[in-house]
Amino acid sequence: MRKHRSNPIIAILTFLLLGIGLIVIYTIGAQRANFMNSAYGTDYDQNFFFIHQLISVGLAVFAFIFAFKFPYAKLRALSKILMILAFAACGILALLALAGSSLASCQLGACRWISLGSFSIQPAEFLKLALILYLAGLVSQHKEAGTFETKDFWVPFGVASAVSLFFVVFLQKDLGTGVCLIAIILAMLVVSGAKLRNLVAVFVIILAGGVMSILVSPHRLERLMTFSGEGDASSSYHIDNAMMAIGTGGLFGVGVGNSVQATGYLPESINDSVFAVMGETFGFVGLMAILAAFTVLLLQILKVAGGLPLEESLVVAGVFAWVAAHVVVNIAAMTGLIPLTGITLPLLSFGGTSMIFISYGLGLVSQLSCYTGRRKEKDEGISSRRGVGRTHYASRRRSA
Amino acid sequence: MSRIKLLRYGLLVAIGIIAVRLFVIQIFQHDEWTERANAEHISQNTIIAKRGEIYMMENDQPVEVVLNKAAWTVVVDPQVTNREEVEKAFSEIAPDKVVAKWDDVFKDKTRRYYVVARGVEREQVKKLKEKKLAGVWYQEGNERVYPEGDMASALLGFVNAEGKGQYGVEGSLNDTLGGTNGLLKTITDVNNVALSIGDDNVRIPAKDGKNVVLTIDRVLQKKIEKKLAEYLSTSKANHASALVMDPRNGKILTMATIPNYDPANYAKVEDGNLFLNQASDVAYEPASICKTFTFAAAIEEGAMTPETTYNNTGEITVDGWPIKNAHSGELGVISMQTALNYSLNTGSMTALMLLGGSDSEITKTGREKLFDYYYNHFGLGQATGYELNESTGLIQEPNKGYGLNSRYANMTFGQNISLTPLQVAAAFSSLINGGEYYAPTIVAGEITKEGKFVKADEKKAVRRTVTEKTSDTMRAMIWGTRGLQRLYGIDKPGYYIGGKTGTAQGIKDGAYTFDETTGSYIGFGGREGELPEYVIMVKIWEGGQTLEGTADALPLFNLLSDVAIDHFKIKPKG
Repeated sequence: MRKHRSNPIIAILTFLLLGIGLIVIYTIGAQRANFMNSAYGTDYDQNFFFIHQLISVGLAVFAFIFAFKFPYAKLRALSKILMILAFAACGILALLALAGSSLASCQLGACRWISLGSFSIQPAEFLKLALILYLAGLVSQHKEAGTFETKDFWVPFGVASAVSLFFVVFLQKDLGTGVCLIAIILAMLVVSGAKLRNLVAVFVIILAGGVMSILVSPHRLERLMTFSGEGDASSSYHIDNAMMAIGTGGLFGVGVGNSVQATGYLPESINDSVFAVMGETFGFVGLMAILAAFTVLLLQILKVAGGLPLEESLVVAGVFAWVAAHVVVNIAAMTGLIPLTGITLPLLSFGGTSMIFISYGLGLVSQLSCYTGRRKEKDEGISSRRGVGRTHYASRRRSA
Repeated sequence: MSRIKLLRYGLLVAIGIIAVRLFVIQIFQHDEWTERANAEHISQNTIIAKRGEIYMMENDQPVEVVLNKAAWTVVVDPQVTNREEVEKAFSEIAPDKVVAKWDDVFKDKTRRYYVVARGVEREQVKKLKEKKLAGVWYQEGNERVYPEGDMASALLGFVNAEGKGQYGVEGSLNDTLGGTNGLLKTITDVNNVALSIGDDNVRIPAKDGKNVVLTIDRVLQKKIEKKLAEYLSTSKANHASALVMDPRNGKILTMATIPNYDPANYAKVEDGNLFLNQASDVAYEPASICKTFTFAAAIEEGAMTPETTYNNTGEITVDGWPIKNAHSGELGVISMQTALNYSLNTGSMTALMLLGGSDSEITKTGREKLFDYYYNHFGLGQATGYELNESTGLIQEPNKGYGLNSRYANMTFGQNISLTPLQVAAAFSSLINGGEYYAPTIVAGEITKEGKFVKADEKKAVRRTVTEKTSDTMRAMIWGTRGLQRLYGIDKPGYYIGGKTGTAQGIKDGAYTFDETTGSYIGFGGREGELPEYVIMVKIWEGGQTLEGTADALPLFNLLSDVAIDHFKIKPKG
């Protein structure tokens, strides 16, 4: 593996998106505070949301830099411990919720946050990162041992995946994060080089589980019903107002600070629905720019993945799937393409946990982009030789 | 690395679909969504104009009797509100202001808006706000305050829950007092609070209502109301009204209708008749009071004098129907003064005959002349033109319909005619003030925004009803009816007081009855040798009771006359 300068585009886009998110929250945070205060009798300061977002962005930048600096070699040694810690965090949340503790923050029967005073953390975000690291290590280890796609591999793979999904989908009732986890698992499996037959089998098992989860949980069914036009009022109200915000934006948008939908019409305007507020504010041109930023970021991540040894490549593919799932699922829901799920728009939505962990993932990708390596399991061939011979000048030329 | 390409293509397809979708929503469907958004965002709010306040006079200075106070309407969103918290907060802080039943508020789960309290005061709102109740809104508005309580309620009227004046001054002068509401068309947030977003906002400022000053003498009004209430408590009647006017200029000084009602709680009033200002809203038969008008017409036309005599047989037959006196004595040849003193119907009917150039029958000319005086000179049976709403009453024309002689015979003593006390008092004033008719007036002026009292123009006499000579004669003739009062010292020496009784029969089953009567009395008073300073008309009634001018209304006038002399500090002559 050769070390060279990191891919600068990933860092630049990450900070750019964080900055845009900060501006949007700055312009609508005061309205949000006023609305919450008058409607729910809360006592938010005008700057509450902006200051919170500022702190979150600060922590996210720190997470990015830390991930960039903290060597992956040391991180991979911790992957099993991190996986256990993530399960423990989810388990503690489940127990707190079961005990009815105020530390577990629940909304509509879904307990997704551990509330610690003025801020709360979402264990599911940590779980995504831990699962990526764990699965990457697992695949790599079994590839080396020659036991990939044997029972020795499938059992720990299946257990880690199933337990993760069980926590997120059944205990936290968070289908959005569930979809994201599935995307991560499948994407990593795809990149691992698993046989098509096995890929299809895993996909079928997940699909069956998905159907079961919908039958078990009534609020999920409701959201599906909403999507087909016969659901409850609040979900269709949410989607309707998101599309109204996007639609009124037109080509150039109504301008910063002029969003009306953000004044209480659009639920979760600063969290999950921030894309819709951006559509109203910046218009089609603005949304295309944001969409382009995400697309370039994601393509750059894939490019990094392509030049790395298997294990690192799997980690980067996992992060790709993580960010891509958030972007696609969030925007598709806001534009009425798929049913509503509670999932953030990476780096832009208000809410620290998702932003910090995704920044960590992107920082990690940035660190790995400093390396170019060959696949250990492959004999030297023309293609890998080209990889070995790549200089950082070449890399720069290609990414330019 | 075809496997990574797979992810890339997957991503590009998803992003491509989203881009197309955004293009459709933002470009193709832009107008449609904008229209829907406007329907949801833009709200038209009325800017409520500040209602003018009402003043009365006291020592030539206006004093407030109806004023405004900020009051809040409280609205809850039943979907958001915690019922227990809200119910507890209101029962602690403002239990008297709750207008909704809590069960009703939370019955319909889909409602987002329910008015739970009205007229909540500043301090109460402050305390409620401290509780930080979720889903509770406070809308500021105005509420009427009545520092004088129920005083003059039938005159003043009230303001209903929609802010519209009802009855009395509030109802009649609603446009003046209410001003013109402004309009605010604006983009609002989800709670209907106006936003400063967009440039389509329209703002037409409200034009506040004017502060009206009434000619009513607050202190006199209060004294008269007190006397009326005291009198009712010792009488078999339980309704009474009094109108006090200055005969020299038509200014209304008191308009009292007892019992009063509480205008702040008008909704609790069960008898809607209490809302009526008896002096102007209700026309009735003032009965024998009208004899003064008949005699005045006959004297003015030179057809008779107070000394003119006729043979009183106790009844006169008109159109085949004998019309009798209420008082059975004084038979034989008597003077018109005596006829007025004893309120003999034969006297006024004789005056009508004389007016028509005959001494034995009622003629067409007589009817026409009486109508001319009643309607054109004295303004009876038509609106007086004062500033508030009034009933016009009804008068029979001289040549229309049937049984005209009989009707006109009745009209000479105030039956078969329907008049308001206001009409009668204005006409009566012209009889005793030298013959000048002043349209009654109740608005003294207005108080400007700067607090300056701008007086209304002084009203001039509208017309002459009778010559000064006839007026002098009538004043003396009406003074003449109170010989007994002077004899017994009720009318003190040095004062010049006169008046006339009236006992109106009620109408029962389409026919006159003596089972139910309304007692009336109109009189004037002042210093001897000078023109009268006040005219007081009283009315006392109650369904099912016989109340007479002489027995019931006259003593009441005597009491009020004393109040007036005392209040105006009228010194006796000599």
